[in-house]
Amino acid sequence: MAAPKSILKKTSYPATTSRSKDERDREVALYHANLLQERKDIELKILLNTETLIDYPLASKPYDASNPSPVDARSFKKLVQPFQPSDYDSLIVERNINEHCGYSLCPNDRVKDGAAGKYRLIGKTGKAKNFKVVEKGELEKWCSSACAKRALYVRVQLSQVPAWERDITYGMEIDLLDESKSGEDPTVERHEKMDSFTPDDPGKKNATDLALERGDKGVGAKKGLVDVDIKEKDVQRPAQAPSFETEDISERLESLHLQLEGHTTVFGSKRQRRHHEELEGIDEDGYCSDTDWKLD
Amino acid sequence: MSMATEEERATKAREAGDREAARLWRAWRTVHEMVQDRGYQLSEEEVKISLKDFRYQYSGPDGSIDRNKMKFSADPSEIMVKRYTNLPTTAQPVPPPPDVGRIWVEFLPGDNVGIKQMRNFAQFLSQNSHHTGILITNVSITPAAMKIIPAVANETRIECFMEQDLLVNITHHELVPKHVLLSKEERGKLLERYRLKDTQLPRIQLSDPIARYLGLRRGQVVKIIRKSETAGRYASYRLCV
Ligand SMILES: [Zn+2]
Repeated sequence: MAAPKSILKKTSYPATTSRSKDERDREVALYHANLLQERKDIELKILLNTETLIDYPLASKPYDASNPSPVDARSFKKLVQPFQPSDYDSLIVERNINEHCGYSLCPNDRVKDGAAGKYRLIGKTGKAKNFKVVEKGELEKWCSSACAKRALYVRVQLSQVPAWERDITYGMEIDLLDESKSGEDPTVERHEKMDSFTPDDPGKKNATDLALERGDKGVGAKKGLVDVDIKEKDVQRPAQAPSFETEDISERLESLHLQLEGHTTVFGSKRQRRHHEELEGIDEDGYCSDTDWKLD
Repeated sequence: MSMATEEERATKAREAGDREAARLWRAWRTVHEMVQDRGYQLSEEEVKISLKDFRYQYSGPDGSIDRNKMKFSADPSEIMVKRYTNLPTTAQPVPPPPDVGRIWVEFLPGDNVGIKQMRNFAQFLSQNSHHTGILITNVSITPAAMKIIPAVANETRIECFMEQDLLVNITHHELVPKHVLLSKEERGKLLERYRLKDTQLPRIQLSDPIARYLGLRRGQVVKIIRKSETAGRYASYRLCV
């Protein structure tokens, strides 16, 4: 029986055809074992990071939640990076068990309302729109409503996607509500981040991109099943400068002056804009209308 | 009038204290039976302690039971060691030593059990070279804290029970057949006799209450002995998965 004719040019994948089935089976098994191990490693890391963050912040006065020490702020962002929102909620529970305010950069104890009753009325003195009935347990997670707001600001930035399935290039960068006061030039960090996502050789970058397209997008797919060999396309005819002549540019006239080499710059990353949208749900008291924290 | 209510209140408090003591006594008895049934050495006095003696030994200064005092250890009996003894194979003529040792049991006071409490328990077990530890709590343990257990599994084995799960000994229930852990030797003979692979046996989950009671491990085989009016006693076997 003849093997089905490949739609790929044979020359593109010489290795595949010469390998035995056993060899390929072993590779596939190894690949999946590696993925599983990667997942286990990340889960353990999340556990250990949670454990570390129970006792945060490390720095004492004059630093506090509104003005965290730059060192603590930086390591908090790094430690929380692989978290999903549910992991972050667990961290808050663990901090509360140890009587700490749920926000990791806050040195205060959480408030404990000894009085009976399941609900509390807040905003009784202000405008009517600020009046709320809140579950006592929700209030007791924090030292103040300001910290509830700070903690939520971090939470909405966390990806719902498990860390082992995230895009390698996903530029996770957690911002703090009190970032500007932390006394550190945020641009320095941003540059470091960008560098770390620049692959050392372009072939690897291309392989990564292709793996992403195929859906092998987790960090575990670094050594994915696609083995790509990118070849430069030979161009025979002389290079031609792009021209407007053949294009209808009338639709793009409005934004044409914003373009640089055909690319229109948009301010703020997609993610930042999304967070902005999400955070608009938060009112002055720091209670978001749409979270599973039942703050409303 | 107010004297009467004062008295009523005192009576109510005393009754609540009695109930709590009886509750903890029952959990204490069950966990002793469990440890004994697994094959650890305990005296009958320790296992069959009376409520009166229990209250006498484990009450704090205020008369209520002090969970901090509720802890004990036990060593495996010879029979238990034999049950866990590995058989020599052609690949391993000198088999590894049996994977059993001293067990530590502790009731944990407090309304919350999180990562920190679990980590402390794990460290205590490791430092004292306890092979196994049983942590008994009044509240459920956070999911994050439960993840500590596999993370320390190469140092010590941790099992968790809630007090309410130990108020009755499930193995004493008339509808629960007797479960007996087979030794490695018995397990080998069974599979040989029926020319079976272990995976061909019916299964019992690690999370099954009886499996938890006996502290079964993955790959172990239990013999289940049922009484039947028509057939007398008959045995079946299950592989723990
Ligand atoms: Zn706070």
